[in-house]
Amino acid sequence: MVSQHGIKLAVYLVSSFYGDHNSKVCECLLRRGTLTLAQIIRFTELSREIVRHCLLALIHQNCIQAFSIQQEGAFGEAPKVVTHYMALFDNIIHHMRFPKFIAIVKDELGGECEKVFEALLQHGRLSFNQIVDREKQTVSKEENFDVDHLKESFNKLVNGRFVERCPAPEPFLAPPSDEETPAKKRGAKSTKVGDVSESIEQRALAAAAPMESLRFLAETHNWSDFSDKSSEEKFTSVKTGEKRKQDFLETDGGLLDQDEKKEVLWRVNFEELIRRLRHQACIANAKSRLNDECGIILGAILELTRSSESKVNIGSTASVSINDIYDEVIKKKGGLGMNLERIRASLVELGCEMPMLVEEYSIDLKSIIDMAQNEEVESIVLKRYGREAYRMFRFLSKSGCLHETDKIADTTFVEKKDAIKILYKLWKDDYLQMEKVTVNGARQTHFLLWKVNRQSLCQHVLDEMYHAALNLRLRIAHELDQEKEILQMPKDKVGEVEELRKRYMRLKKVSIIYESSLMNLDDALMLFHDF
Amino acid sequence: MSRSMNASSLKRKRPESSSANGSLVDADRAVFNVIKSKEDMGIWTRDIKFETNLADTVVNKSLKSLLSKKLIKEVVNIKNKGRKHYMAAEFEPSKEVTGGAWYVDGNLDKELIGVLKGLCLKIINSKKVATVEGVYDFLNKSKVTTFDCTNQQIAEVLNSMVLDNEVIEVKSTGLGEYHSIPIGTVCYRIAKGAGLGESLKIGAMASIPCGMCPRISQCTPDGVISPRTCVYYQKWMNF
Repeated sequence: MVSQHGIKLAVYLVSSFYGDHNSKVCECLLRRGTLTLAQIIRFTELSREIVRHCLLALIHQNCIQAFSIQQEGAFGEAPKVVTHYMALFDNIIHHMRFPKFIAIVKDELGGECEKVFEALLQHGRLSFNQIVDREKQTVSKEENFDVDHLKESFNKLVNGRFVERCPAPEPFLAPPSDEETPAKKRGAKSTKVGDVSESIEQRALAAAAPMESLRFLAETHNWSDFSDKSSEEKFTSVKTGEKRKQDFLETDGGLLDQDEKKEVLWRVNFEELIRRLRHQACIANAKSRLNDECGIILGAILELTRSSESKVNIGSTASVSINDIYDEVIKKKGGLGMNLERIRASLVELGCEMPMLVEEYSIDLKSIIDMAQNEEVESIVLKRYGREAYRMFRFLSKSGCLHETDKIADTTFVEKKDAIKILYKLWKDDYLQMEKVTVNGARQTHFLLWKVNRQSLCQHVLDEMYHAALNLRLRIAHELDQEKEILQMPKDKVGEVEELRKRYMRLKKVSIIYESSLMNLDDALMLFHDF
Repeated sequence: MSRSMNASSLKRKRPESSSANGSLVDADRAVFNVIKSKEDMGIWTRDIKFETNLADTVVNKSLKSLLSKKLIKEVVNIKNKGRKHYMAAEFEPSKEVTGGAWYVDGNLDKELIGVLKGLCLKIINSKKVATVEGVYDFLNKSKVTTFDCTNQQIAEVLNSMVLDNEVIEVKSTGLGEYHSIPIGTVCYRIAKGAGLGESLKIGAMASIPCGMCPRISQCTPDGVISPRTCVYYQKWMNF
């Protein structure tokens, strides 16, 4: 479930990038879940034509995924295949971090690859021919346009897994087989409706995804050899499903265009970029919490094990031998002077246990992420509620269980009368859970017990962060709006008047602070949501 | 219980006398017995009245009498500082009443805690890594304090410093700086940046006004409290 402010932020981003109609369609899907075309039209009160165009645009920009399922017909009618649409919340939020993605590609692969990558970010999905055409338009007449050079850059992006083949635009989800039905029926009794639809969405994403062997397979000379099988299946089902005409996005130059059907479409692979950012966050945490050497060694291990990661948020890295770590460390900046003993000492600091037989090491990334999350939350508590609240919160967070008020006050050296006030404030703002216990003895005595519930706390903090990110964006827009006259003036005219120049310089400074704060906050968002 | 009192009985204040002063002494005795029965926990005035079943005025007079004879004393109960709490003179108030070694007159002895924290920080800074026993032994040998503190108190202070992120708790590996400490023993070292007086690293959310704002739950884009009208943002951008 996406939090309230997460939805608001996502809607704001879609509005900024693609306009109000698109944001209305997205908001409808984010708030109401997966819907059909007819339902979207009804809930958004937009015309059919506008909704269709919005859906096509948002699918193209990887903000929405379509899929079709067979629905039982009513009153003896034959079953019909209906197209459903689901919003891809994560992909929408990724729009906020496009500059970070571009920086990763530029650092690793250089400026040429950066240009191709940026084009894919801007357009959502492109075939290689479209990339070539676009590049041709940007190159001046004097320059020679080199397709092979462009192809080389493109292949580097694919081989680096920064770019992937697009998923099928509308996979068909077959109805469950007879063997599955009893289990599903049993499941339906105990699970809520929301759980069942969530699994349909997960199935849709899995069905849409290209086979792993094809996903990063760069095209050969003959483009048609590697057309996606699921796309063909979908196209077949389009022809035969006549009753679906009302719900179906007609072929009018969009995704299902006949000429493009055999061209492979490519898009940015957000998964790989988030993986890189996760690694960067772990290395930065190791450097700041421990020392630079630990950061270098962790970086080396992550470099060695990245290709074996099956998903972004793995718990631990694969095991690596001490010799492989050494060979990788000495290649890195600052790593040349390291020896095996120092590496071993740093590995212990990173939480590794000394191996018994074969000298191999694995890093617990989940614990690093957990520590970083704790630091973030504790920082909020310190700033918002003060030092005594910070101590009490850390005590409860470390212990992970319920404690009575006096015990907390005694352990943290806080006056008992102050302790209850602070704990109550934290509880009211959803940072703590509280339980009342009554002991019946000679007299009834009431005790208050307090606890940090990590899971609900992280969800709450994440929602606050989405709220803060939206606030920052609104504030930036407000500041720019306040000074729009200065922004529209020619720069030399602004420079002539002292007052205008001061306002312009202030605006520049303010924009830098807001933007950098937003980028830092986005790192924290990923820490709680993506990592 | 006879409430009749003549003038002569009021003038003669001899606790041993049990003839003419019988009723007052009986009341005093009843109150004293209840107070004494609570030993080092003491008892609240209202509870005395409840347990002796005496009238308010009688109990109050008895308490005054017993106090003047130094048979009982008034103590501060840390859980209810506003209530009058009494204890037999021969007992020392328990930890539940006083709050423990860290409380003086019902208040936390912040000065003592601050002094001990400072000393612990200096010791760990000079030793690089230390156990509770190591810090305790150093304090005793160096005689830098004019008061006695126990091993347990040192442990409590160090624990509080861990919670303040001034020191970190680690387990000895037996290697390097830990060579003199048995493997697996809990020990303490200065947290990164703490010894240099650097403040704790501020998180991304805490670095912006929204992170510190007590009204974030009431903030909406177009509400009375909104990012566009926010005074905290205004102050943040006042260069």
